[in-house]
Amino acid sequence: MIKGSYFNGVTSEKKDVLLYFTDDGLIGFNGLDIDEVDYNSVTVSSRIGNTPRYINFTNGAQFETCDNDAVDQMVKTLANEPGHGLAHKLESAKAFILFTVVAVILFGWMFIQYGIPAMSKQVAEWLPDEASQYMGQGVLEAMDKSWFSASELKQQRQDELRKLFNGLLKNIKGSQDYKIEFRLGGKIRANAFALPDGTIVFTDELINLAEDDLEIASVMLHEIGHLKRKHSLRATIQQFSLAMFVMVITGDVSTSSSIITAIPIMLVESGFSQKMETEADSYSLEYMQQYGINPAYFAVMMEKLEASYMPQYISCMEALRKDEDNRAKKIKCITDAVKLNKEENAKAGKNTLDYFSTHPSSEERVERFRNKI
Amino acid sequence: MDEVNAVNEASVTNECFQFTGKAGEFFAIWIVNIALTILTLGIYSAWAKVRTNQYFYGNTFLADASFRYTANPVQILKGRIIAFVVFMAYSISTSMDPVIAGGALILLMILTPAFLVMSMAFRLRNSMYRNVRFNFDKNFKRAYFIFALPVVVIGLYIFITSQIQNFVAEDPESMATFGIALGILLLAMVLMFPWWDYMVTNFKVVHARFGTSDFKFTATTKNYYRMYFIAFVLSILIFGFAGIIVAGVIELLKSGEETGDFPVIMPFLIIFIMLPAYLWLFAYMQAKRTNLMYNNLDISGNKVQSELKTGYLLYLYITNTLAMMISLGLLMPWAKVRTARYRASVTSLNVAGDLGQYTSAQQQQQSALGEEIGEMFDMDLGF
Repeated sequence: MIKGSYFNGVTSEKKDVLLYFTDDGLIGFNGLDIDEVDYNSVTVSSRIGNTPRYINFTNGAQFETCDNDAVDQMVKTLANEPGHGLAHKLESAKAFILFTVVAVILFGWMFIQYGIPAMSKQVAEWLPDEASQYMGQGVLEAMDKSWFSASELKQQRQDELRKLFNGLLKNIKGSQDYKIEFRLGGKIRANAFALPDGTIVFTDELINLAEDDLEIASVMLHEIGHLKRKHSLRATIQQFSLAMFVMVITGDVSTSSSIITAIPIMLVESGFSQKMETEADSYSLEYMQQYGINPAYFAVMMEKLEASYMPQYISCMEALRKDEDNRAKKIKCITDAVKLNKEENAKAGKNTLDYFSTHPSSEERVERFRNKI
Repeated sequence: MDEVNAVNEASVTNECFQFTGKAGEFFAIWIVNIALTILTLGIYSAWAKVRTNQYFYGNTFLADASFRYTANPVQILKGRIIAFVVFMAYSISTSMDPVIAGGALILLMILTPAFLVMSMAFRLRNSMYRNVRFNFDKNFKRAYFIFALPVVVIGLYIFITSQIQNFVAEDPESMATFGIALGILLLAMVLMFPWWDYMVTNFKVVHARFGTSDFKFTATTKNYYRMYFIAFVLSILIFGFAGIIVAGVIELLKSGEETGDFPVIMPFLIIFIMLPAYLWLFAYMQAKRTNLMYNNLDISGNKVQSELKTGYLLYLYITNTLAMMISLGLLMPWAKVRTARYRASVTSLNVAGDLGQYTSAQQQQQSALGEEIGEMFDMDLGF
């Protein structure tokens, strides 16, 4: 006997009834004036958790019950369908669930770590150059508006550096559209950017860090590496695919808003660009060796870049601001800062903000270039 | 006279919606769905969708009877395959030729209202309660009428912004005229939105049916303008307040010595100040819009009551989000179940007559293709 409700299929009228079945495969109801029917003529819905089960009859009527175990028992007695309720069996096997959780997490991690970057790389190579051009349009203008101001470097110095840059491009195929621009970084300080349309922007602050122009050349090669490997296009595709992936897995706007799901992406994203930085480092290293530039120059530059964020360096440079042409003193500012930074790092240990920064830990990078000497 | 009234009042009962799903149980279904979807390279996703919907419908009870979702996974799979092919064709065509890409985009825009209608019909036709199906009138004409005006206004706006440079280059003085024209269009879009939201909601409600009974929608455009106006004023207050805090923190940092921390602090400012403001607005609109729609639903004298609270929704969103971030998405089933439970707990039906009075409509066999295409975009109209 299965307790449930009977709906006749014509109206929404609900009748509380008891369903019974006989050993020779007949189904009937206690309390209803309806003929018994053959079990083979009805459809029994499959089990989903503890949601109600529905038995549908050929005349359009439906029986609804919450007594899942009784329905399972009936199906087992009257029919021999090995496939019936397979999904439910999987869903209620604890060991299987545990195994599935581990497998899905592993798969998700592998997919994010390797699948999406590999896919994005393929797609970036497959897309025409116009795609990068299109993306790069207006980027420099936007940066000029919000951060940069005109370079304070003398024209002669700019020409010198341009000549150095063009010299580096000589052995690099498909680099005819690459050009270099100089800007006063302001808040951004010492930095360099590779824009998707082939423009590389150096801030005056970065140029001022270098004692030897080969240090700048090493950074130029690093930025060229970003361009050659189409990193900005790849990063965009990666971000998009990752957002899609997260949406497919968690994707339900009704429980939270989609902007929220972007936050974990932001955290993972910096991990992606760390990989790209390493790739650009490798590129730079390769060409430095080809051009016979000592890899130590890049390592020196990395140390200087890190130290350039120290307040001691900033105030040291601030004091020299009115001193137009005092290169030697400026260089001393940075060498002092590097020394101080090294001491502090040795004392404090690792950088705690590592996970949020887009660049790999500079210690690691410096190590890499030092080892190549 | 009084006696009659008393009898009528007594016959009105309030039936609460109940949600009986459990997070642990749904977790098992969810994780098996994901695993099988991966193993079958996406094919199982159609079955996964059906099982998930069946779990949520089946656990929703009204007056001791459950809701039932009856979509055929094979039909959904067909829709998804068509969607995939169309999407691939579109992607390839866009990378080949901008003219084809533009044409494809316009075609897609033209078809969108039809897809929305078909998707709505698919969902409702596969929803059942007490062995009576819901239904949706596929009134395409009306759908196109509702979508026409916003498309024209937005299209005009895009056209003017794209052409403005050419015109201004010829005649610099025309700049002001264009500025005013764009301003008016923008204002028109903003002022039109509450009306449009009303029209779309009204369209969804009045074309829905339960068996042979029509739904009535008793809200007016005035209700919608009032809701959006209050939301507008409250957002100005809240975002203004958040903006002042952010500006204050930035000012504080500027005056301090450690200006170098400025870029580092920015994401935190956004996460802890701007995001809650945004979430509040999201929860507020969600609560008010849902309440306004449900509280104006009338099906042959039976009226729905919905009392979603912004505060509790906000609490749900924040805790759900934190839980999902900490668990890398594994607590998603828990978040979904508790949200469904809350929504059911604040929804009820004032039953004036008898819930057994509805009659099933004769189901005519319709071409499934349109519904599959609608289904493939999986457009959620939140009904």
